[in-house]
This record gives sequence, C-alpha cells and structure tokens, in this order.
Amino acid sequence: MIELSGVTKCFNSGKPNRFTAVEEVSCVIEPGVVTVLKGPSGSGKTTLLTLIGCMARPTSGRIVLSGFPTLPPLGDGGTGRVDVSSLPERFLTGIRRATFGFIFQHFNLVRGITVLENVMLPAYPTGEVRGAVRKRGMELLEMFSIGRHASSRVDSLSGGEMQRVAIARALINNPSVIVADEPTAHLDSRLSREFMEIVGSFRSEGKTILIASHDPLVFDSPLADRVIGMRDGRIVAGAPPS
Amino acid sequence: MNRLIERHRGIIDFACSSLLRRKGKNISLVLVYTLMVAVVASVIFFVQALKREAALILKEAPDMVVQRMVAGRHDLIPLSYGEKIGAIRGVGAVHPRLWGYYYDPVYRANYTLMARGDGGPAEGRVVIGSGVARTAWIAAGDLLTLRSAAGDPTLLQVDAILPDSSELVAADLIIMSEPDFRAFFSFPAGKATDLALTVANRSELATIAAKIVRQFPDSRPILKSEMLRTYESVFDWRGGMIVVILGAAILAFLIFAWDKATGLSAEERKEIGILKSIGWETGDVLLLKTWEGAIVSLTAFLFGTILAYVHIFFFSASLFAPALKGWSVLYPRFSLTPAVDPYQIAVLFFLTVVPYSVATIIPSWRTATADPDAAMRS
Repeated sequence: MIELSGVTKCFNSGKPNRFTAVEEVSCVIEPGVVTVLKGPSGSGKTTLLTLIGCMARPTSGRIVLSGFPTLPPLGDGGTGRVDVSSLPERFLTGIRRATFGFIFQHFNLVRGITVLENVMLPAYPTGEVRGAVRKRGMELLEMFSIGRHASSRVDSLSGGEMQRVAIARALINNPSVIVADEPTAHLDSRLSREFMEIVGSFRSEGKTILIASHDPLVFDSPLADRVIGMRDGRIVAGAPPS
Repeated sequence: MNRLIERHRGIIDFACSSLLRRKGKNISLVLVYTLMVAVVASVIFFVQALKREAALILKEAPDMVVQRMVAGRHDLIPLSYGEKIGAIRGVGAVHPRLWGYYYDPVYRANYTLMARGDGGPAEGRVVIGSGVARTAWIAAGDLLTLRSAAGDPTLLQVDAILPDSSELVAADLIIMSEPDFRAFFSFPAGKATDLALTVANRSELATIAAKIVRQFPDSRPILKSEMLRTYESVFDWRGGMIVVILGAAILAFLIFAWDKATGLSAEERKEIGILKSIGWETGDVLLLKTWEGAIVSLTAFLFGTILAYVHIFFFSASLFAPALKGWSVLYPRFSLTPAVDPYQIAVLFFLTVVPYSVATIIPSWRTATADPDAAMRS
C-alpha cells in the first residue's frame, strides 16, 4: 500500500519563481490494482509519480510504503512500513531499484547500445550474476515479442518496440510496483490497447500499477481499477471508472 | 565478493559500450591524450637516459683533475707541479694531460683535441670521434686537414673512429700524439693542460685536494664527484630547457582535461538521470565514470609510454636531438640504453592519468548527486 498524506512539492523554494507542482495531496493507493492519475498537462501527475517512485523528496507531507515484498529492510521495527519522505538518497535508490519499475513517457532508453543491454541496465549495480540477468532479459524480450531485436541498437526500433523495451527494462528487477508516465502518449490506438493488455497481465500477476495519463484509452479502460483526477497540483476527483 | 565482482563487471561492460557508441569522439580523445603522454614521457625518458649515459662514461674518469688558475681562469700547469703532487702521500699516479679546442671554419664545428702518450696514435696519425668523421666526411685511412696555431695546414691520417658507445662525450674528439699536439698548438714544453690523478683510497680525496691547494695555492683540484655533478647539471640544464616544453605540454593537457570535464553534454547529463531513475546510486554512476576515465587514460598512458620508449630508445630521440644534444653542428649520434625507472613511470602516471580522472569525475558527481528527476529534466 502507498499512503500519501498532505504531500506538497515546490520547486525553486525561496526564489521569486517558486512553483508548487503538487499541493496537499492525500490518498491511498491499494496494492495489486491499477490506479490511473488523470489530468491535463501541468496538473502535477508526473511530479506525484516521481515522489511516489522515490525519484524526488516531497517538500512537505509523508509518503509511506507498506506491504510490498520487495521493500528492503530499513529498520522499520518489523512493521513493513517505510516512510520514504525523508530517507537519504542511498536508501531511496535501494527502494527505487527493488520495488519500482518505471516506464517513461519518452521511454528514456540509452541510445547507442543494444536492446538487451538497455533491459539489463537496472540490474548491473545489484551485482547479480550476469548470465542470470541476461537470461531474464531475453525471457522478457521474448514475452513482448521483440527477442529478435535483442542485439539491435535501440535507435533502430519503432515507437511501439521502444516502449516494449522500456517495459522489459522496468521488469528486469521484478518490482512490486510499475509506474508509467503517459505511456501511450507516443503510441497509436492499436499499440495503446496492446499496452493496456500488458498492464492487465501485470495486474493478474499481483503487481501494483500506477499510471499517469490524459489518454481516454487508459483512464476509460476497464482495466483501470481506480482513477484519481488531478488539476493544478491537487486531487479533484477520485472514483472507480464507469 | 562475487556480487562486488559482478557489479564491477556489469559497470565495466556498460562503460565500454558507452565509450564505443561515441567512437569518433573517444578515439580522437585517446589520440590527443596519447600524443601528450608521449611528449611528456619522451622528455622524462630522454633526460634520464642522458644522465645515465654520462654517469657510465665518467666511470672511467680520473679520481681527481688538478688545474692551474691565473686571474681566476684556467691556465697551463707546469709539469713540475705533477712531480711534487705525486710525492704527496696517498696519490697513486699523476698523468699530465694535453687537450684543447679547435674551431674548424670549413665545417663551422668545434673539435676537442687531445694528446695521448702510451697507446695513442703515432705521429702524423689521429683517432677521431664519429661526430668529427660525419662532419668532415672522412673515414679511417683518410686524411684530416687542420690549420695549426701558426696558420699552417696540417695533414693527419685517420687511424680509427671512436666507437659509438662513447659518442655522447667523444663525438667531437680528435686524439693525436703528444709531439703533434704540441707542434699544432705551439704548446710550450714542460707544461700540460691539467693533471689527472689516481688516488688509492677514495675517502682521502678531500684531504689530498686540501694538501694540493695548500702546497699550490694557484691550483684547483676537481674531484670526480664534482665532474659527475657538472655533467648532471649540464644535462639537467638541458632538461631544464625543456622543462618549458614539459610545462607547456602539461598545461595543454590540463586545459584539455578541463575542457573534457566541463563539457558534460546535455545527453550525458540525461543519461545519468536515466541511470539514477532506474535504480543506479550516485556511487554507481561515479564508478561508471571512473571506469570510463580509467579506460581512456590508461589506454592513452600505455600507448603514449610505448610510443615515447620507441622514440627515445629505438629512434634515438630523433625529434628532440637537434634541440637537446650537443652544440654547434656536431650532434652525437648514439643509441640510448633502453631502461625504465619505475619512479619515472609513477611520476608520469600522476602527471597524466590523475588530473584527467579527477577532471572527468567531478562534473559527473555534480550531476549524479542531483535528484534523478532533476537530472533528467536538465
């Protein structure tokens, strides 16, 4: 479970160009379900994802993670609850690596290296045996039907293929939570539906999925268990999809 | 332990791929870097090799040389001094030496002329250094023409050319018989240029020198150690001359390293952001950048050092020779003995690899310590 209470994120604090991207957000994201953050550009969806995904710390408020089997032990007294709002960077990285898998809007693949290398990248610092990581990477690529591109450079792939590489990369460390930021922004309708099918398979595996999107194909999908509306950095509505 | 090795292995693999995808940029970087290391290494190897050669040659030098001074300048020494010095306790043998300089206006070269008694060439014959042979275009059996102090042309037959091993200090040497030498320079009888002494007990050298000065206040004893020091300072001076070159090379290298360091591109910054967002720690990113820097700098260091070694010891420092060896038009031509001092390699390493590595890591560290989302947006 991910619990947010009074989470605020300001940029350029103390300067004339101070900007509040997320303001007083409180909500609970249940494990094992698909939650969609819905809202227009600039509504704070991406910033909220980065805060939940331990890529940045909130300016104020608390974010507590609990019940995820991949959470590293951080002296929580055995409660399984970790307040990530004020953890040092080193611990945040540990959580980010083990618990979250990220799918970015622009895919954020490293250009110039092969598809398989891109998929294996998150596992390098873990010190896991190379052969095992390679095997898992190949399995993931096969699962997404892009195994034949394993030794191609990512630059040569189409948008849909790039996204599948990004998904495979997000799964290489077998995370509990998949975070996807505008995953269908660069895909056509067919590929967007394919993506949602993949999301459905994640859900059936018991993973928690958190998606920020303003694409109706995503937030109107029957797979979206919960849609949280956002505008101007605040939650404006939260209801199950129709 | 295995995890640690696997972690390094993975990061090194990525560092290699990372370097290879910017092939053009990195190859040119390694080339420039190699060239700089080669220049600096050549200077270090060359100066050290010259000093070593000089020290080896001076092994054969006399324990002490006694000169006579007049008005603070070197003057001819009476042979009678030698007889009295030979009587001082501890002095083994005294050999009067006859030598002088000759300027050859035809080839615009300065030669050192020396007389040798026993075992030297016969009258009318000479043994010459290879520099003289090259300059005057003569070989053994040819005639060498010189103009005596009286202005008369003197023809001397060349008996032999001195071996290459002595070329550093004997390139400009002409050895002749004593009567020829005295006749050529109109050198007064009963006098010598200086006296060469051998001493039985080296620890008594200073005492004997003091006794000589007491007995002959116008004399100046020069110890072998002082000669060695003079040679060293001469080569150091030559080394000192190229310290300017060395300084310029190092400065250019620092500018190059700094440029590389501050030139972390937007693409590189974004990549660091991606790595952090997918679970790399700041330490992992720094390790990656350290390996990248190490691969570039160690490759350049290795090739630069090999290039310098080949240049100095196989091509006899052909690029430096005109500026650094000999003077006038008589350049010694000789092969330096290949030898490398680990201390010099360490100095070279610290002069070249360390500044580059530091300059590479600092900007990466600055980017890597930012939040991953900030690094990705930058």
